[in-house]
Amino acid sequence: MDIIVCAKNVPDVAEADLNISDKGTDIDKEDLVFGINDWDNYAIEEAVLLKEKYGGTVTAITVGNEDDEEVLRRCLAMGADRAIRIEADDISRFDSFVISKILSRVVKDLQFDLIFTGVLAEDDYYGMVGMMMAEELNINHANMITALEIEDGKARTTSELEGGLGEVSLIELPALLTIQTGINEPRYVSILGIRKAAKKELKTIELPDLGISDEELSPRTIIEEAFLPPETEGAEILAGDPDKISSDLIEILKKKGVME
Amino acid sequence: MSELFVIVEHRLGEIRDITFEMLWKAGELAETLSSNLTAILIGHEVNSIAEKISDRADKIIIFDDEGLKNFNADIYKEIISRLIEESKPTLTLIGNTSWGMELAPCLSIRAGLPLATDCIDIISKNGNLIAQRQMYSGKIFANVSFAESDGYILTIRSGIFPTDRIGDRQAQIVQKDFPLKDITVKKNFIEFVETAAGDVDITQAELLISVGRGIGEEDNITIVKELAEALNGILSCSRPIVDKNWLPKYLQVGTSGKSVTPKVYIAVGISGAFQHLAGISGAGTVIAINKDPKAPIFRTADYGIVGDLFKIVPVLKDKILEVKKGG
Amino acid sequence: MEIARIHFWEINTVWLFYVLAGLTVVIFLIGLFFHASIWLAGLKRDKFNFSTAGVINLLKDGLLGKRIFKGDLTAGLMHIFIMWGFIGLFVGTVLSTTDYWLIHFLSGDIYLIFSFCLEILGLMLIVGLFMALIRRYIAKVSRLNNTSQDLWILILLLASVLTGFLVEGIRLAVQRPEWGGYSFAGLIFSSLLSSKDQATTLYPFMWWLHALISLGLVAYFPFSKLFHSLAAPFNIYLAPQPAPVISTEDRLSEELEFPFRDMIDFSACTNCGRCNEVCPSTSAMEPFSPREFIAQANEYTKLKFNPLNRIKWFRERLIKAISEEPKISPEQIWYCTTCRACLEVCPVYIGAFEPIRRVRIAEIEEGSRVPSLLIQSLETLYKYNNPWESSKKKRGEWPGVLDVPDLTKGAQANLCYFVGCTTSIDTRAQDLARAFVKIMTHAGINFGTLGQKETCCGDIARRVGEDGLFEEQMEKTLDLFAKHGIIEVVTSSPHCFNAFGNDYPGYQDLKTPEERLTFRVRHYTQLLEELMDRGLIKPVKSLDLKVTYHDPCYLGRYNHIYEGPRRIIRSIPGLELVEMAHFGPDSLCCGGGGGRMWEELEDEQKLSEVRIREAADTGASVMVTACPYCLIMLEDALKTADLEDRLRVMDLNELLTEALGLGDDEE
Repeated sequence: MDIIVCAKNVPDVAEADLNISDKGTDIDKEDLVFGINDWDNYAIEEAVLLKEKYGGTVTAITVGNEDDEEVLRRCLAMGADRAIRIEADDISRFDSFVISKILSRVVKDLQFDLIFTGVLAEDDYYGMVGMMMAEELNINHANMITALEIEDGKARTTSELEGGLGEVSLIELPALLTIQTGINEPRYVSILGIRKAAKKELKTIELPDLGISDEELSPRTIIEEAFLPPETEGAEILAGDPDKISSDLIEILKKKGVME
Repeated sequence: MSELFVIVEHRLGEIRDITFEMLWKAGELAETLSSNLTAILIGHEVNSIAEKISDRADKIIIFDDEGLKNFNADIYKEIISRLIEESKPTLTLIGNTSWGMELAPCLSIRAGLPLATDCIDIISKNGNLIAQRQMYSGKIFANVSFAESDGYILTIRSGIFPTDRIGDRQAQIVQKDFPLKDITVKKNFIEFVETAAGDVDITQAELLISVGRGIGEEDNITIVKELAEALNGILSCSRPIVDKNWLPKYLQVGTSGKSVTPKVYIAVGISGAFQHLAGISGAGTVIAINKDPKAPIFRTADYGIVGDLFKIVPVLKDKILEVKKGG
Repeated sequence: MEIARIHFWEINTVWLFYVLAGLTVVIFLIGLFFHASIWLAGLKRDKFNFSTAGVINLLKDGLLGKRIFKGDLTAGLMHIFIMWGFIGLFVGTVLSTTDYWLIHFLSGDIYLIFSFCLEILGLMLIVGLFMALIRRYIAKVSRLNNTSQDLWILILLLASVLTGFLVEGIRLAVQRPEWGGYSFAGLIFSSLLSSKDQATTLYPFMWWLHALISLGLVAYFPFSKLFHSLAAPFNIYLAPQPAPVISTEDRLSEELEFPFRDMIDFSACTNCGRCNEVCPSTSAMEPFSPREFIAQANEYTKLKFNPLNRIKWFRERLIKAISEEPKISPEQIWYCTTCRACLEVCPVYIGAFEPIRRVRIAEIEEGSRVPSLLIQSLETLYKYNNPWESSKKKRGEWPGVLDVPDLTKGAQANLCYFVGCTTSIDTRAQDLARAFVKIMTHAGINFGTLGQKETCCGDIARRVGEDGLFEEQMEKTLDLFAKHGIIEVVTSSPHCFNAFGNDYPGYQDLKTPEERLTFRVRHYTQLLEELMDRGLIKPVKSLDLKVTYHDPCYLGRYNHIYEGPRRIIRSIPGLELVEMAHFGPDSLCCGGGGGRMWEELEDEQKLSEVRIREAADTGASVMVTACPYCLIMLEDALKTADLEDRLRVMDLNELLTEALGLGDDEE
């Protein structure tokens, strides 16, 4: 079972105060800490679990600069056998369309039964690269996978639909699946594990060597402007010490008829 | 005359709200861009669905065949790309739903048209199309433009636009056939599965007290549980809590969980990612407790408490018990 | 007749005896070889020096068994009787063999003294064995777990010494030498026999019985619990020497199993159960007990390093056995709080937390069985230098309105106050820091903090086995200290204090002298004590309170600081200091150490509740602590145990600020 996992290095914005960069088309990432995209973390864990069960290899791929290799080292430490980085010093010039072209070109020459991508990336939230790759490579695909089993060379997948519904499908391999959070519990990656993984193969591919046309490298979508959310009226803030806030809140609850 | 396509999303014989929302926005755009609004309905025995939108589109193209009973992205992609080739619509709108997220990127490559996903607004300025969307879990907004093209595909976020009818239309119904044998179906639908019902149906609750990632540890959920008990309300949660297996799936509020319509919804330690907000769009009064004043939930909540939930919730619970005892 | 030992009286097939003896020795040596292979598997990286402290330990605990007496006088006596009885008789046999084969010296008065001593020792052994049997099977001492091996060993030993006396008695009954009186015990037995003929027929039978049992015991020795007597001295001797540090760099090139000292631990354990009695986790009914862990680890090493594994057939069966049923169950290892109570009482100096840490290292590397909250905390620690929040900024926010000099922003001071992750970020623990700053300012001490740039000392990573992360944090901290010329540090937390004072030096030793950074570290209680002695802080306000002091594990047992904080408390007028049932080296852990603040264990609250109840039982109205973890854990326990109206928990800094009249915080 040979699996390819596409991973992305994203900034951790959960508790950070974000500022728009000087260019005005993205946030200022200088003080932010980067790490693997949460969805991709589940994807690499799933790939490694499959490898542990069925044997085979796991290859991790990313498009980025030298700092982004961190993401690949993590994948290697989790159990990937080798990693490939396509050198791109500034991937903000590329959109999902271009990234999917690049990844498809690299993957096309590799042996695989499955390709995993995360459903979304924490930064741009596009969710396009996976399915675009599937179309590019003309292989079977399924989206938002929350459960996966391999039966006789086919993948039995459960896709997450809205409202707690799931859709079970049977797909012939090779296939591309976008992995949803919660499918498994990603293991811990220790510093020692990452150091030991330094022995594993991490190859860098230069973009020109892939022979992708300029036309294919030009983005289809352009971020004209990034901005902080407009000040809307928003919530009425209850202020004071916990005691006062509680009293005020109780009044509101009584008024709304949920408390006697 | 230019055309706008809207792909109808339906499931198990029911039309989904996102379709109405898209038709609303498309209807608005159709006026600005002087376009015709065409809905594309693919399925089996879908006449009742067509009826529901007959006053919201100028034309409904229906593909009705047994082989189209279950949604399949490859089939939809082939059918729609053929139509796009024939009609060259300015815009094709698809819902940013689980099915839509599978279909749209494939269609984009197949039809060779640019795509922007999860749009919360579509702006046409000086003949230029701008898609507005969010980034970084809703903390940043972005206006996105496209490379020059005959047409564009956009997926629309659920719950943003109204489901009302806009304008007054009467759709011309066109039945079409598609040679399905030309399409190799690569994915076989097996069945739908539902999350276990559980002991509690949060969709019926009048008062929900919901816990989110801000709770930190599984053990701390007791604090919120006690608040729920003190108020005689029901405990619910956001997705990260279920991902970690701290609470069962049937308590999850949000797009992939349940849509709830309580009189009052108290969100404790929930930042307000749109997937969660989508689940409470029908709630009466939303009260949010979060330590981050910039949390997206404060934009849509009715009342907000900016502070440490570990300080506020226990005090609140005690006061409630006091009031209940005394009164 | 000559006054001498009569060898092999009436025994004809002596050669058979020597064949059996030879066989016994071979089996004994095989047993030793078996243990040696296991020990040597871990030997690679240990260093041993001669240490007088080690020798003293050997005399105290090895020869006298001092720790065995603690809390259990009969146990101490019983062990001395058995041990000295056994050693004495063994030495007697050796002397006797020397006398027969080499030099005949046991004659005349020497022989009489020899004979008499052996009688005493033999009787001692019998008394000891009976004491053991009574303790196990009649008094049923609760901490002992009785296995069949325990019973067999006692019975066999008893049988050996009794048959020995019987043999002697029978011989005396026949020979009746005048010096028989020196073998008085044997003489008593001889009176049981009716006739000389009966004695003569019985003798060879008894003799062979005694021989077989005794030889059997020797052969069984290394394969049984008895082996502890050879393993324990190593452990006891090495106890005062710190183990060398094994850095992750070293681990890159080799798979490291349990090191030498841990292997000896497993062989030296006698299952006495003292560790279980004092372990806070076991006492709170959590699914963990140090004794059971050591036993499991013993099983594991015996299987894994079995010399037979050189044979493929055995090795394959071993791999199968270990993977199907891991000998060490992984869930339990996260319960240990590393409080060190076990090491404090173990008569053979086993600290279960050390091999547990080794297993944690392996589990962290494996990754899929690590508690999920711990994963999150370690990842946050890696990214943001603290395990609590995904933000570096928050670290500098605790001073509030207080003016605290920031050494990274130009302030100059010789003393660096290292606040620590928990104290900087947890809202309750921040009170500790603010109180300390007030005291320092009041005393006119020149100090500064590292503000927002403060790193993590790495303790939490080290305790849960993430040594790689510990080393990274350590390097970051040392770099920060070097950058700002820090040579003297005072910490809020005993954990930081311990990390700097006891964990860092081992790593520093691995560096070249130019790379090393020397700095002095103290815990705040030590600094406060010094200030008190210098007259810079004089508690003037009388506080009419009954207080009790909780010894934090990392201040007390790890660093032997018990009296200092008490002196400070006693210097406050009006205070009455009472002690809890467990105090000083016996102090009961609050449950926050060993990474437990970042795990989610079932029923974990009970551990701290046990301690808070002990505090409440003293009738004190204030429980004073000197550690941020203790402060948080015990205050939480106060709420869940519903004791909030009985007492409150305060940090020593807070108590002192009250006594100094420095008032409340304005937030």
